Amino acid sequence: MCILLVAMNVQAQDNEAMDKEMTISEVTVYGRRPMKEIGTQLTKLDSVALKENIALSMADVLAYNSSIFVKNYGRATLSTVAFRGTSASHTQVTWNGMKINNPMMGMTDFSMIPSYFIDDASLLHGTSSVNEVGGGLGGAVKLSTKPAKNEGFGLQYIQGIGSFSTFDEFLRLTYGNKHWQVSTRVVFSSSPNDFEYRNRDKKINVYDEDMNIIEQYYPIERNQSGAFKDFHFLQEVYYNTGKGDCIGLNAWYINSNRELPMLTVDYGDDTEFDNRQQEQTFRGVVSWEHLQEKWKLKAQGIYLHTGMAYDYNRDVGNGNMASMISSRSYINTFSGQMESEYFLNDKWLFTATLSAHQHFVLSKDKSIISLNGEDAIVGYDMGRFEMSGSLSAKWQPIKRLGLSVVVREELIGNRWSPVIPAFFIDGVLLEQGNITAKASISRNFRAPTLNDLYALPGGNPDLKDERGWTYDAGLSFAVGREGRYSLRGSVSWFESFIKDWILWLPTTQGFFSPRNMKDVHAYGIELQGNLLLDLPKDWKVDLNGSFSWTPSINVGEPVSVADQSVGKQLPYVPEFSSSVIGRLSWHDWTFMYKWCYYSERYTMSSNDTSFSGRLPQYFMSNISLEKLLSFKFMDLSLKGVINNLFDEEYLSVLSRPMPGINFEIFIGITPKW
Amino acid sequence: MKKSSIVILSIIALFVCSSCMKWEYGLEEDFSAAGEGLFITNEGNFQYGNATLSYYDPEKKTVENEIFYRANAMKLGDVAQSMVIHDNVGWIVVNNSHVIFAIDLETFKEKGRITNLTSPRYMHFLSDEKAYVTQIWDNRIFIVNPQRYEIIGHIECPGMTMENGSTEQMVQCGKYVYVNCWSYQNRILKIDTETDCVVDELTVGVQPTSLVLDKNNKIWTITDGGYKNSPYGYEAPALYCIDTETFTVEREFLFQKGSKVSELQLNKEKDMLYWLNDDVWAMSVEDTHLPIRPFLDSRGTIYYGLTVNPQNGDVYIADAIDYQQQGKIYRYTKDGVLIDEFYVGIIPGAFCWK
Repeated sequence: MCILLVAMNVQAQDNEAMDKEMTISEVTVYGRRPMKEIGTQLTKLDSVALKENIALSMADVLAYNSSIFVKNYGRATLSTVAFRGTSASHTQVTWNGMKINNPMMGMTDFSMIPSYFIDDASLLHGTSSVNEVGGGLGGAVKLSTKPAKNEGFGLQYIQGIGSFSTFDEFLRLTYGNKHWQVSTRVVFSSSPNDFEYRNRDKKINVYDEDMNIIEQYYPIERNQSGAFKDFHFLQEVYYNTGKGDCIGLNAWYINSNRELPMLTVDYGDDTEFDNRQQEQTFRGVVSWEHLQEKWKLKAQGIYLHTGMAYDYNRDVGNGNMASMISSRSYINTFSGQMESEYFLNDKWLFTATLSAHQHFVLSKDKSIISLNGEDAIVGYDMGRFEMSGSLSAKWQPIKRLGLSVVVREELIGNRWSPVIPAFFIDGVLLEQGNITAKASISRNFRAPTLNDLYALPGGNPDLKDERGWTYDAGLSFAVGREGRYSLRGSVSWFESFIKDWILWLPTTQGFFSPRNMKDVHAYGIELQGNLLLDLPKDWKVDLNGSFSWTPSINVGEPVSVADQSVGKQLPYVPEFSSSVIGRLSWHDWTFMYKWCYYSERYTMSSNDTSFSGRLPQYFMSNISLEKLLSFKFMDLSLKGVINNLFDEEYLSVLSRPMPGINFEIFIGITPKW
Repeated sequence: MKKSSIVILSIIALFVCSSCMKWEYGLEEDFSAAGEGLFITNEGNFQYGNATLSYYDPEKKTVENEIFYRANAMKLGDVAQSMVIHDNVGWIVVNNSHVIFAIDLETFKEKGRITNLTSPRYMHFLSDEKAYVTQIWDNRIFIVNPQRYEIIGHIECPGMTMENGSTEQMVQCGKYVYVNCWSYQNRILKIDTETDCVVDELTVGVQPTSLVLDKNNKIWTITDGGYKNSPYGYEAPALYCIDTETFTVEREFLFQKGSKVSELQLNKEKDMLYWLNDDVWAMSVEDTHLPIRPFLDSRGTIYYGLTVNPQNGDVYIADAIDYQQQGKIYRYTKDGVLIDEFYVGIIPGAFCWK
């Protein structure tokens, strides 16, 4: 509490002061939505959230700034996100227009996306994702970078030092003039990540001389085998002719070397096992954009490469590490995209998109000796062509009403998807309070991934596409008084049905295989709110909150008469989740409090409430305090962060240790040339 | 300042509205399970550490689930693979936790543990001071001292590396222990227990999954035949009868290619074989043909585990259902009459009779 009282004396400023300063004048109350956003359920993350600190990944940002579910397998470990009671592979993710879901597994690891590499982030809930991409049965996360809009040279360097010998470094060099904008960003993060935690899943035995147990206790253990070194490099070059043409280059290189933390129930000696995942990814986008008064044309060429190596070794004596598993996978994707917009007049907007992707995947899962004594590889080598196109018409017949129709069609391999239609409507019900109603409905589908179809062993070429339809409806309002306060809020109801949900399950032959297992009915309510207050004596308050109620129910046929899962919540999907972020600012000081909540999650499809059948609800609280110092030759920012303020013992996934209270400090330097 | 202070304090109060969460750490529960009983090891989901142990009293027809957790206030671990009883102590092999727990058979309290195994699958006792532990992803069979809970040595298995190493179930005939090599393997190894060396090996079909020794001292193994497009090979599964004297295949029974055969078991008299192939099948060890009709029809799902009560011949079948919920055990008489059914833990895979 003392910390909170001290924090009352702080006020906002930030590394990127221009972006982050909270002023009510920024809050314009819109009576009309942009035509491209007619009827959409959209959550935009502002730069304050994205650039909060360099140690954050997009998984961390989304956990506290939205109501979508972030499934976190540990610190600096796989983190996936899911909308509205769906799974991680139902969330489509784009970066600068490029779809970056792993074509082998379908999901995206958000722990591999540093938030400092993202300048714009939007969440497109449910139906709204059809505007951007197909396959987002839950929704889509749209990430992008943008020109820094600097004049001359710029430099920003931030050093972060945290608990568990964690070091984060960020460097950004920029150059800009009337035509050129060049930016180079580098992030390097490393840590032994050996945080301490009380392991309640195991006990240490104390034996007497006859090997009788005379004492047992829960050990305080360190997170074993959790070290990581992540390097990210992002180069951007933009050239604007000033005559309506803009050419851009974005190149993002990732080199990650992460140990895979041992489970809380692992009794192996971590010095004798090496369990490691290494990744090298390159994502490159060349884009050309042509703007005219009434129309816009954009073309992109994309190349994506990911090389993943998974190694599991053990010491067989005298430090000789022998390979137990050595798995490799290589993905090369070549893509081209076209997008055009045509404004017929201020009432009509037409858009058309077409994208084509060619994936080449080589998976080498295991080395074996074949029956005839030769070396052989268990894996697959496949390619797949994918194409997606959409047409849309947006119409605002009167100022207060907007209608939008989108039709999307996809080709996956040699299979055409059913036509994916989506319809959106919004209208201002009441100008006073800007009370706006919106609704949308769409059909959607998701094709099996390459692993679903071809993985050896287990791939199932007979899998059916996941199909579904979803609708949502909501109300929003925005009130305010310039220079005093603004208050916005929205509430939406959604409902979706997904058929032939794909799940990987064990088989009697000792491997996993995907099957179309369930039909799922997901529905619920999403609430969002934002309050900005300009108080006397330069105090400012910014409060954001979200809340979700997301029942996600298995409504399929029972697998057998013994099946108890029908009518139950899907495992690991919280029924309730919520997040709140509050900022207080005063002159050059900013104090922030972040809070998130996930309700109890079942770990079994039958929703059994036995000891291992559920994960307790948890609340997480983080605080930070930042001070900006301005000198003649540079700006200096100092920031202190306390994560897991109340030192909660919590789990996001069974048997995955999570850190208790931990601390970080950041020093940012921005020279003035 | 007064107004703003009130607003700020209110907001802070809201932020701190809730933080502490409640954990229910299990208290140790007292059990007293006398008499005949059946332990069921529930694998749980790989990498989720939710393996559990169940105990069934066939006389009272009662089941207790999560008994390891309830008795010891700690988890069993990740993927409970098998259990064996020796000298009134139960030994539970927990594969991906690299551990074998020893428990008291009546109280279910832990008595000790052998740790730091590579990826243990099965345990076979040679004496009070010596047992073998088979592994996957390791070309060694570990030799352990159960009394001291120590690894004391290992047996190098020929023809396999760490990466494709796989040794599974063990049976003993005289001084020799026989081991089936399953994953990307096709052999039965013969180990001299006096020298702890592999002294012979016999090639059978692709991926022998289980191993039993009948009343005639014949070894029976059943292969799964691999899987479609496997670079190792894909063939029709088969049931083999192996003569221990000559260590040669005496009889071979072929199944249809693609059959999902597994879980070879024997009855008390060791004269009747049982196995799973969607349905439950049974045949005498003297038969010369595979049966044409199953002993028990499938109940609509793929059965995962099988055992036969050594006292009265009742047959127990484990149904993993969707592999994400409590599995179900069906108990039949030796004549195929359903007499009980009960839920256990996630993916019931193996049984152990007390």
